[in-house]
Amino acid sequence: MELQVLTNRILGFALSGLLLSGCEKEITVDLPETKAKVVVEGTIESGQPPIVILTRTQSYFAPTSLSAIASIFIQDALVTVDDGVTVHVLDRICSDLIPDSLLDEAAAATGISAELLAQASICVWTKLDNSLLGEEGRTYRLRVETDGNSLTSSTKVPPGVALDSTWFKLAEQRPDDDSLGFLWGRLSDPDTAGNAYRWFARRISLGADGEPKDSRFLAPLFSVFEDRYFNGLRFDFAYNRGDEPFSSAEDDNNAESGYFKRGDTVVVKFASIGLREYRFYNSAANNIASQGDVFSTPSNVQSNITGGLGIWAGLGTRFDTVVCVP
Amino acid sequence: MRFPMFRRFVPLLAFLLTASEAAAQRSITISGYVKDASNGEALIGANVYVKETMRGTATNTYGYYVLNVEPGRHTIAVSYIGYEEFTQVVEATIDQKLNIAIKPMVIQAREFEVVGERKKENTEGTQMGTVDLDVQRLNTLPALLGEVDILKTIQFLPGVQSNGEGNSGFYVRGGGPDQNLILLDNATVYNASHLFGFFSVFNADAVKNIELIKGGMPANYGGRISSVLDINMKEGNDKAFHGQGGIGLISSRLTLEGPIVKDRGSFIVSGRRTYIDILTKPFISDTAAFAGSGYYFYDLNAKANYRISDKDQVFLSGYFGRDVFTFSGSGQGDPKFRIPWGNSTVSARWNHVFGPKLFLNTTATFSDYTFSFNGEQDQFSFRLFSGIKDYGLKLDLAHYPSARHRLKYGAQYIYHIYTTSTVEFTSGDTEFDIAKPPKLHAHESAVYVLDEFDITDQLRINAGLRVSRFDHVGPYINFLLDERERYEDADTIASGKRIKTYTGIEPRLSARYRIDGNSSVKASFNRGQQYVHLASFSSIALPTDVWIPSGTRVKPQIGTQYAVGYFRDLFSDVVEASVEVYYKDMDNLIEYREGAEPQSNGNTNYDTQLVFGEGYSYGAELFVKKRTGRMNGWLGYTWSRTMRTFPDINNGEEFPSRWDRRHDLSLVVAYNLNKRWDLGGTFVYATGQAVTIPVNRYWIEGRLVSEYTERNGYRMVPYHRLDLSATLNGRTTKQRKDPATGAVTEVPKRFTSSWTFGVYNAYNRRNPYFIYFGAEGSPSEGNFRVAAKQVSLFTILPSVTWNFKF
Repeated sequence: MELQVLTNRILGFALSGLLLSGCEKEITVDLPETKAKVVVEGTIESGQPPIVILTRTQSYFAPTSLSAIASIFIQDALVTVDDGVTVHVLDRICSDLIPDSLLDEAAAATGISAELLAQASICVWTKLDNSLLGEEGRTYRLRVETDGNSLTSSTKVPPGVALDSTWFKLAEQRPDDDSLGFLWGRLSDPDTAGNAYRWFARRISLGADGEPKDSRFLAPLFSVFEDRYFNGLRFDFAYNRGDEPFSSAEDDNNAESGYFKRGDTVVVKFASIGLREYRFYNSAANNIASQGDVFSTPSNVQSNITGGLGIWAGLGTRFDTVVCVP
Repeated sequence: MRFPMFRRFVPLLAFLLTASEAAAQRSITISGYVKDASNGEALIGANVYVKETMRGTATNTYGYYVLNVEPGRHTIAVSYIGYEEFTQVVEATIDQKLNIAIKPMVIQAREFEVVGERKKENTEGTQMGTVDLDVQRLNTLPALLGEVDILKTIQFLPGVQSNGEGNSGFYVRGGGPDQNLILLDNATVYNASHLFGFFSVFNADAVKNIELIKGGMPANYGGRISSVLDINMKEGNDKAFHGQGGIGLISSRLTLEGPIVKDRGSFIVSGRRTYIDILTKPFISDTAAFAGSGYYFYDLNAKANYRISDKDQVFLSGYFGRDVFTFSGSGQGDPKFRIPWGNSTVSARWNHVFGPKLFLNTTATFSDYTFSFNGEQDQFSFRLFSGIKDYGLKLDLAHYPSARHRLKYGAQYIYHIYTTSTVEFTSGDTEFDIAKPPKLHAHESAVYVLDEFDITDQLRINAGLRVSRFDHVGPYINFLLDERERYEDADTIASGKRIKTYTGIEPRLSARYRIDGNSSVKASFNRGQQYVHLASFSSIALPTDVWIPSGTRVKPQIGTQYAVGYFRDLFSDVVEASVEVYYKDMDNLIEYREGAEPQSNGNTNYDTQLVFGEGYSYGAELFVKKRTGRMNGWLGYTWSRTMRTFPDINNGEEFPSRWDRRHDLSLVVAYNLNKRWDLGGTFVYATGQAVTIPVNRYWIEGRLVSEYTERNGYRMVPYHRLDLSATLNGRTTKQRKDPATGAVTEVPKRFTSSWTFGVYNAYNRRNPYFIYFGAEGSPSEGNFRVAAKQVSLFTILPSVTWNFKF
């Protein structure tokens, strides 16, 4: 439902097409110093233990080397999750203690690149003994104590909603192409207002290197939607293929970028989320996509964390597998 | 509808009338129209005065004047720059009618006039912050891509700012874009720009005169709190059929005018269309990504007038303009869009002269702005539309009871119909459940009275009162929202039922004290109320911006302005100069709240995402203008500050408005080199725009996120630019040999033409349009970096335009 945003972008696109003599140059900007804030990236999915990653904000022009980026990851914190019955203290796992052979799996579980995990000690908080697994309908309160900061949040794992069906359809956006397309889903939205969803997909068919094409579930940039305009309706929707941020994979940098391809086998993870969580992911996508152009008003991401930034999200998940045959 | 307030107002009017009638004894009234002898166009603001006493008046918007004189013999004179002086001796014994036609001067060295035709108006009038522009003389000034643009010329005046590079949007004394009342023959124009603001909708060939009031708004204007831009279309030549036009880089124009009945009625039709789409089409292959996309805009102006009698004249005028953007990709699965938007206005006017002292102007107006976006891709189709439609009626009476009083009173009424942003979306057979908000309806009405009164020869005041009223009425659906802003229920309000009523008492006062024949001080105070608002999601004016009415949550904007100035004529009125200082207070301003989204405007009330605040602006303006001579033009300088405070934005802390400019300087120069060549140059300098930029960065799922701290906390570098132009005028006469005598005489040519060459941004300054922050490379590959990039729009741009007349 990005209609007016889309309208403005299309107008912006039209405008940029007309500005034949336009040009850009890099400039130096002096930014005020502000105190770093703690950023939470935490999720708890149906039947899965919570995963919490803690980082800090940096001045926009802080150094950008891999080690400088690694330094934003917080190593030391007390992270607890209250499921209404028990307060669970989460276990800290740091990448320097993980054997190299498991780094890819760690990368898939955390969303942090394997290179970064290998190079620096990056810690995540989870529950190793399966004593805390996401239950649909239950509310989880998060508390983080670090660097003298105290952060709190709460999220509910909503009941999952399975898609009626999923399929592959050719995009037909190039005259001589009969292999690239999008994934489609049919959703019957429950007749209760306030449902929101997040879409993920992972290509499990093997690439040229003998590994699955995607090492984890990937969400496209605008991956969330809510039922403000389709409460209780059944309808079809389509998604393009998401990619790893800063991906150097060939098919993320050529004509196949953004498309699924005939022959791919794809697992779809369709997650129900709450409205506050929807607002977070949606505003984050807007923030990432705009970065200060004139067609939108710059605005901050709408966090559900008190005392910091970021997200603590419960996801009620359902899975489906699609073989890409039009 | 009831107007109890208006009834209370009637006795006041009656009192004012009797009071002024009493003062009117023992004077003779000479009245009539002043016209251009060559084409019958009414002349606005021509000085009509008694030569012996040098006391006089100026013609109104319709060229009508009323001069009150003592009984006796007087020399009546008319002066108007660019015209030959007219004098006539009149034996004033009884009231009489005197229609005057004056001839344009035949000048060897064409004088170039840009603003202010009213001689002595600078120090005589009570008006402050008011500028007149004679559009016909703008053609030799430099213009972006050769498109003469009256709104961009206005931006060269002190106190008026542009909204950035190449933009015709203007902002007056710290006020927002919705606070300017733009009138085309009395009909409101809601979106005065084409192509994202790069060109204004006003085709200079069809426009006769422009008046900008940026402070001290007299009581006959209202409904906006910053400024009035009053634009009059040409009436057409009532003597003979003529045409003019031009061929430019991006558009062409053609205007035809002529008599309907000679000396009694005339018409004018003027059109303009861009042709970027036609020019580029042959060069785009059918398979290119851009194939099937196009953009154009066009304008059509038409006007007709007919003088039924000496006492009655009728006018009918209209404007129709559209921008159309289309896109369809080459592939079957590509999205297809068609996005048209534009204005239409119609005004019908009847001028009636009741007697020598009472002039009535009745205007019925219609104006309509619509935007729509139609798109489809695969099985999806969507449509977004919005707009505003007005039906208006105005009665304006000008009453000249005595030499010392010039009264105006009248009533205005507008019925507004708003289409707030409305969306339709379907996926295959499923139509999404998007409540179509009923159109919003409102009645806006006002009565006013003002008296321009010479208390002594030195002191003149213009005191006025405007009483306005706004009724937001049904039909309306008021969504009742839960704490998540999801609607649980809705109140349906019946058609015509009053939802919210506001009234405004708007006093307007300005005074001029003449120190001597060449200098005066002026002061003004005025308060205005504004019932329509424009809410914008972007930092530039886009056609998607939606007009909304005052209502239960949205209170009327209130503007209060105080100004004081010193005005002086120098070198026998060749130069006029002024310094004005002002302070302006604005209440009930609207903005979208932080993080508001256009797509969340559906299934909720139109005001749900709005937040409210206040603002102020103060500044000093210097204006020096050389009116006549081979070299003329002006220098304007403004020092100002404009701030806003919204409890829900920027943590409630005060922040600079986007239109906050500490320094703003403009220089406009025209030089008549010789009979063939006119040169023009403009220079602008302005403090950099205040923008919001990220201060910190963080990561979400491996993607770079920006953290903004202060609203408009960063200044872009200053904006400055020099534009130059040169006009080569074709010969206006040809030689004719008398076959009988063999004598050779110069006779005027029927067809004349000129070439205007221009250079925009002559020294190729890379002015900032916007700044964005972005990342390149990849963290895992070690080549990751972030940078701030400044985008500039127009580098040096030459242009050429060929203009013709016949």
